[in-house]
Amino acid sequence: MAEYAAKKLAQMLITVLGVITLVFFTLRLIPGDAASAMAGDTLSGEALQVLRDQMGLDEPLISQYLGFLRDLAMIDLGETITTRIPIADLLLRALPITLSIAMATIVLSIVISIPLGTLAAFMAHKGRNWLDNGLTGAAMIIDLMPSFWTALVLLLIFSLGLGWFPASGQLNWNNPGSVALRLALPVIVLSLSQVATLARITRTAVLEVLNEDYVRTARSMGWSEMRVLFRHALKNAALPIATVVGLSFGNLLGGTVIVEFIFTIPGVGNLLIAGINSRDYQLVQTLIVLYALLFVVINFTTDLIYKTLDPRVQF
Amino acid sequence: MNYQAPVKTTLLELRNLHTDFQTSTGTVKAVDGVSFAIERGERVAVVGESGSGKSAMAMSILRLLTHPGKVAGGEVLLDGRDISRLSEGQLNAIRGRLVGTVFQDPMSSLDPVMRISKQMIEPIMRNLRLNREQAREEAIKWLGKVGIPEPERRIEAYPFEMSGGMRQRVMIAMALSSRPQLVIADEPTTALDVTIQAQIVEVLKTLTEESGAAMLFITHDLGLVARFAHKVAVMYAGRIVEFGRVEDIFASPAHPYTQSLLGTIPSTAMLKSERLPQIPGLPPDMRFPITGCAFKERCAAAHDRCCVEAPRLSQCGIDHTAACWAPHGLGEGATLKAERPDRPNRPFEPDGSVVVELNALWKQFDTSRKMVVRAVNGVNLRVHKGETLGIVGESGCGKSTIARLLLGLEKPTSGDIFIAGLAQMVFQDPASSFNPKMTIGGIVAEPLVVRAHGSKPERKEAVRRLISQVGLDPAFAERYPHQLSGGQRQRVAVARALALNPSVVVADEPTSALDVSVRAQIINLLVDLKQELGISFVFISHDLLTVRYIADRIAVMYLGEVVEYGAAEEVFADPRHPYTKALIDAVPVPDPAIESRRTSTPLQGELPSPLNLPTGCAFASRCPMATDRCRAEKPALPTHDLARQVACHYAS
Repeated sequence: MAEYAAKKLAQMLITVLGVITLVFFTLRLIPGDAASAMAGDTLSGEALQVLRDQMGLDEPLISQYLGFLRDLAMIDLGETITTRIPIADLLLRALPITLSIAMATIVLSIVISIPLGTLAAFMAHKGRNWLDNGLTGAAMIIDLMPSFWTALVLLLIFSLGLGWFPASGQLNWNNPGSVALRLALPVIVLSLSQVATLARITRTAVLEVLNEDYVRTARSMGWSEMRVLFRHALKNAALPIATVVGLSFGNLLGGTVIVEFIFTIPGVGNLLIAGINSRDYQLVQTLIVLYALLFVVINFTTDLIYKTLDPRVQF
Repeated sequence: MNYQAPVKTTLLELRNLHTDFQTSTGTVKAVDGVSFAIERGERVAVVGESGSGKSAMAMSILRLLTHPGKVAGGEVLLDGRDISRLSEGQLNAIRGRLVGTVFQDPMSSLDPVMRISKQMIEPIMRNLRLNREQAREEAIKWLGKVGIPEPERRIEAYPFEMSGGMRQRVMIAMALSSRPQLVIADEPTTALDVTIQAQIVEVLKTLTEESGAAMLFITHDLGLVARFAHKVAVMYAGRIVEFGRVEDIFASPAHPYTQSLLGTIPSTAMLKSERLPQIPGLPPDMRFPITGCAFKERCAAAHDRCCVEAPRLSQCGIDHTAACWAPHGLGEGATLKAERPDRPNRPFEPDGSVVVELNALWKQFDTSRKMVVRAVNGVNLRVHKGETLGIVGESGCGKSTIARLLLGLEKPTSGDIFIAGLAQMVFQDPASSFNPKMTIGGIVAEPLVVRAHGSKPERKEAVRRLISQVGLDPAFAERYPHQLSGGQRQRVAVARALALNPSVVVADEPTSALDVSVRAQIINLLVDLKQELGISFVFISHDLLTVRYIADRIAVMYLGEVVEYGAAEEVFADPRHPYTKALIDAVPVPDPAIESRRTSTPLQGELPSPLNLPTGCAFASRCPMATDRCRAEKPALPTHDLARQVACHYAS
C-alpha cells in the first residue's frame, strides 16, 4: 500500500511537471504578451520595451521557466505581472468559491442520480421500463443542451425574470444564505449534465449486477429485494460509478469556468479568464498548475477508493 | 443401490407446473406442464440438455426466475402447502431456510466484494435465531464439514481468494447451514474438474444423508445421475418424458430419448472399433409451438400418432413412467443403434512418420509480481501420421498451453517443437471463436484468404467442399454464426481448421460446450475425417470417456508434466500412475450398478499452485502412496517410445 502510494505520488509529480512545462511554453506561443496587452496602442516601442524589462519578460525563456519551477517548489506563487497583486491572496478569495460550487455540484448530482439510476435499473430488471426510458430520454435532451446555453436560459428566467436568485453582487460569507442563493443557479447548471451522465452509468452498472449469479444467490437465501439491491447490487456497482464520478470532476472544473463567467462569480474561473485576457503569464500558468494538481489529487483519491470498494483491486 | 425411503411422505410436489419466457418473438414455454414428487430424504436427479427447461423448472420452485421468465401456472406443494401463490415476503421465509440452493458456477455465485463470513453468518443468525458469535461458530463448523481446511481462518477470505472447488464447498455450506429440508442443486459440479466434481458430489451426498434433507439435482451428466440419485426425471422440450428409480431408468429405459441418450455416451466397456451411436437432428426450437411429441423428428420409433398428439406420462413399471406411445420406446431393453456401422472407428496403424514432435518443452510465464508460473515442464511427445493423441488432466495442468505452443501462439521458454506441415485449431466454444458479423462462408474461407490461396471462385468452391465435408448443407455458407446451433457451429470450426489441409488439428475441449445428444455427432465426424484424410489430431479434454474412445494414445498431464503415456485402451484398462488411477476413478460411469459398488474415496486435495513446484514428484502432495523418496526425488519419464511410460517410482 505504502509502496503503491509512493509510486502513484511519483507519477503525479511527473504529470504535474509535464503540465507545467507544456503550459509554460504554449502560453508564450500566443501572439502578444502582458506588456502589449496592458499598453494596448498607447505606448511607443521603446516605452513598451521598458515595461517588458520591468515585467521580467525579456529574460531568456529557459531562465524564466526555471525561475517559475523554483518558485513553485518553494510554494511561492509570485505576483500577477500586470497588477502586482500576490497571486496567493487572489486564490485565497477565489478558491473557496469555486470549490464550493464544485463540491455542491458533486454532492447534489450524487444524491439525485444514484437513487434515480438504481430505481430505473431495478424497475427495468423487473420488466417495467418506463422510468428507464424516461431517464434515457431526459439524459439525451440534457446532453444536447450546452451548459452555457442552459446557464443563460436559467439566468434569464429565474434571475432576471422571476428575480428568485440574485444575478450579481458580492459574495458575503458572513451571510451563508445569500451565498447559497447566489451559487444555486451555477450549481444547478453544472449538476444537470452530471446527473444525466451519472444516472445513466448507475443504471447500467446496477442493471448488470442485478443479472449476476451472486444476486440470485442472495435472493435464494431469502433476503428481501431491498437488501439484495443495497447490500449486493449497489455495492458491486459502486466501482464503475466511482470511476465516472472521479472522471467527471475534471469536466466539472472546466464547467465552473463557464458558469462563473456567465453568473459573474469571482471564482478561479473568472480569475483565469482575466489572466488570459491580460496575457498575465504568471497568473495563468499558476492557475493551470492548480487545476492540474486538483485533477491529479482527485484521480489519486479515486484509486484509493477503488481499493476499499473492491478487495480484488490489486496495486 | 440399497436405498430405503425412511417414511414415505412427500416433501415437494409439483403439479402441472408451467413457466413461460416472454420474448420479442413470442412466448417460450420453457416448462410445459411438469408434475412429480420428491419424498423426504430422497435425491431426485433431473437430466436434460440445454433448453430442456430443467433449470427453469428448478428456479420456478422458489420463483427465483428473473424477467422475462414467469411461472405461468401449476402448483408447488412444499409439505402439503402450495407455495406458488405466496407473496415475495412469505416466500423469503422459505428461501434459504426450508429450501437451500446451490448454483452451477461457483466463480460467480458468491458476492465478490463480501467476505465469506459476512455472506454466511447473517443468514444463519436469521434462520436459526442465533447471535453473531454462535452463528460464526456454526458457519465455521459447516465450512469444516464441507472440507475447507482451516475454516477459522478461511471464513475471513474473499471469494476470489479461493479456488472454484472451494467456493462450491462454501456454497454448499451456505445452503446446508440453515438445515433445509430440501436442497436444490443446479448443475453444481459442471464447472469443476472431474476430481473436484467427485469430491463435491461426495460432500453433498454425505451431508444431506446426515441431515435427512431431500435433494433436487439438475444435471446433464448421466454418469453423475447413476452415482448420486435415487430417482431420475428425464426432461425434453419442457416436459418430463420419463421418471423412475435410477436402476430402472438405466437398466430398462422406456422412452426413446432416454434410450438414445444412454447409447451416445462412450463407455469403458465399449469396443473402440464400434461406431458411436448418435441421435440425429437437433432439439426443437422452443420459440415455436410443438404439435405432437417433441422428440418425433429424432425418433426411430415415431409413427403417425406421434405427430398429432403429445403422449402423456403413463405407467410402464413400478414407480416408472414414460411419455411415449410405443410401449417400450425403441424396443424392450433397446438402446440406440449406430447408423453406418460400416464406418467403424478403425484403430490406428503407425507407418512410422512423425507429424508432431515436442522435445524437452518448457514454458514459463512471468507474472506481474515477479513470480514464475511453470505451465509446461519438460514435455516430450510425439504424434504420428493419422494418430490421435489425447491429452487429459485437471485444469491448470498445462494441456491448453501445449495447444497454444503447438499453434505458435506462444513461444516456448526452451525446447523445440517440430511440426511436419501445418497445425490448425478447433476451440472449445464455437460461439465466441467466430466473428459474429461474418458469414459462415467467410469464416471458413478466412484461412485461405490469409494465406492468399487460390482465386475467389476457387476459394468459394473450396468452402462448399469443406462445408459439405463436415456434414452441413453448402447453403450454410450464406448464414451467420448466431443462426447455427452449437453442434453446427462446431462443424464449421472443424471445416475452417481443415481449409489449409493441415497435417495436425489441435482440438481443445471441442465437445465440452455441446449437448450430450450432439456430442456424439461431432465425435463421429472427427473419427471420419481422421480416416478419410489421414490427419493427426491432438485432442485435449477433461472428458475421459470421450478421450478413451477417440484417442489412439493418451498423455496424462499433471502440473505441466506428462506422468503417464500409452495406448488409450491400455491406460484405461490398467492405469499405472496413481494420478491416472485417481482420474479414471473419479469419472462417473452411467451405470448405477457399477457406481453403487464404488468403494474408493475420491482423490483428495487440489492441484498445487504452479508458482512453487515441489522438488520431488509433483503429485506427491496428493498421492495416497507417496513416500519420502517421492518427495525428494523426481521420477523420470522415459523419452520417445511407443510403449507405456509412467513417471512413478512405484508403478508396477
